[in-house]
Amino acid sequence: MIRELSFIDVLYLIAATRWTLALTAIAFLGGGLVGLAIALLRVSAWAPLRWLGAVYVLVVQGTPLLAWLFVFFFGLSIFGFTVSPWIAAAASYSIYAGAFLGEIWRGCLQAIPRTQWEAGASLGLGLTQQLRYIIVPQALRLAIPPTVGFLVQLIKNTSLAAVIGFIELTREGQLTTATTFRPFTVYLIVAAIYFALCFPLTQVSRRLERRLHVAR
Amino acid sequence: MSLVELTDVVKRYGTHTVLNGVSLNVERGEIIAIIGRSGSGKSTLLRCVNGLEPIQGGTVTFDGTIVNDPGTDLRKLRQHVGIVFQSFNLFPHLSVEKNITLAPKVVKHVPPAEARQLAEAVLRKVGLAEKIDAYPDQLSGGQQQRVAIARSLAMQPVVMLFDEITSALDPELVGEVLKVLEEMARDGMTMMLVTHEIGFARKVANRVVFMHEGRIWEEGPAAATLARPRTPELETFLSAVLH
Repeated sequence: MIRELSFIDVLYLIAATRWTLALTAIAFLGGGLVGLAIALLRVSAWAPLRWLGAVYVLVVQGTPLLAWLFVFFFGLSIFGFTVSPWIAAAASYSIYAGAFLGEIWRGCLQAIPRTQWEAGASLGLGLTQQLRYIIVPQALRLAIPPTVGFLVQLIKNTSLAAVIGFIELTREGQLTTATTFRPFTVYLIVAAIYFALCFPLTQVSRRLERRLHVAR
Repeated sequence: MSLVELTDVVKRYGTHTVLNGVSLNVERGEIIAIIGRSGSGKSTLLRCVNGLEPIQGGTVTFDGTIVNDPGTDLRKLRQHVGIVFQSFNLFPHLSVEKNITLAPKVVKHVPPAEARQLAEAVLRKVGLAEKIDAYPDQLSGGQQQRVAIARSLAMQPVVMLFDEITSALDPELVGEVLKVLEEMARDGMTMMLVTHEIGFARKVANRVVFMHEGRIWEEGPAAATLARPRTPELETFLSAVLH
């Protein structure tokens, strides 16, 4: 049944955007936790931990996100697990974002000169205290621009979750197209909504980058 | 028993031997100037005292504690051994006050109000009381180095190590930092300083240690050793530095 594209469809698309945002939030939170762990593994003093972190990053960055979505959604059902799109998406995106955020944050941690660790150690601070009071606060400032930059990528990449039936902005666009048969207009609207989400973030990221550069 | 005792200390980086059997005792209240060419091992020697450099042979003891014993709690030891670096190494994200109070608060659990007073007191000692709320990048090199000294003093160390602390400074800023050291010397602080300021070493140090090729080549009372070097190496070094 084909019907006219109407204003209500646009509202539906905007409403579906909340699932895009929710998925982004989950991915960012989950990925943030994984990423923090990976970054700490990668700067660990113990070599096997560093290797573990490196292997994780290597594997995840070398495989498409789509493959992870398929593994969790379709793959696990073969073993009798029914996995909801939410769980599959949350797991896949956390794994994926964790590798990238981990690498970004590792770089920021390593950008802090060794002498800062030494200064802390010389004052009697333990390793965790050096990290918490000296290294992380400085690394955090460096990390903000690239992290926001990755967040923009993440928002756009949530559209991949449409393939496992997760109804977010892109999937809603597909459904709207199916009933109205107006792919050009519908996908333009979809693209415009993504742009409206990403553009302000890009601007913020640029401004932060400029400001933090001046501060250095 | 001396406060700091180094016995046959050997330090290698790979196949390169930096310290080749160094023995040195430092008594309480003594001021020792360590001089020598770059690469002679003088900075490494200093960094062995607070365990920043692991050693491959010999022993380093501080107040009876073996520094290079794996069972030694270096965090505890470092509360008593202050070090000031050539490049200041202040924490750029923290104000002068926070730079000074971080370790007392975190390591010694000094309450905040008391920590602020402590910061004020040590800043007065280095003549920078009015800079307590400034950030490191708002200070000149000389001021930053004085804050670094104050930060060390706030832990009330028993001995202070100074690793070429005036080498990164513009010539006109060296004086203000050396003045602080002189005052500390008058207060009876035990100090080991690696320095290129021969004039200052002669004036303030009790003893001079000349390092050459990873060994203590010559040592003795400051004035006599610098005036009448016994080895040609020290003589050459002095004539090179004093021009």
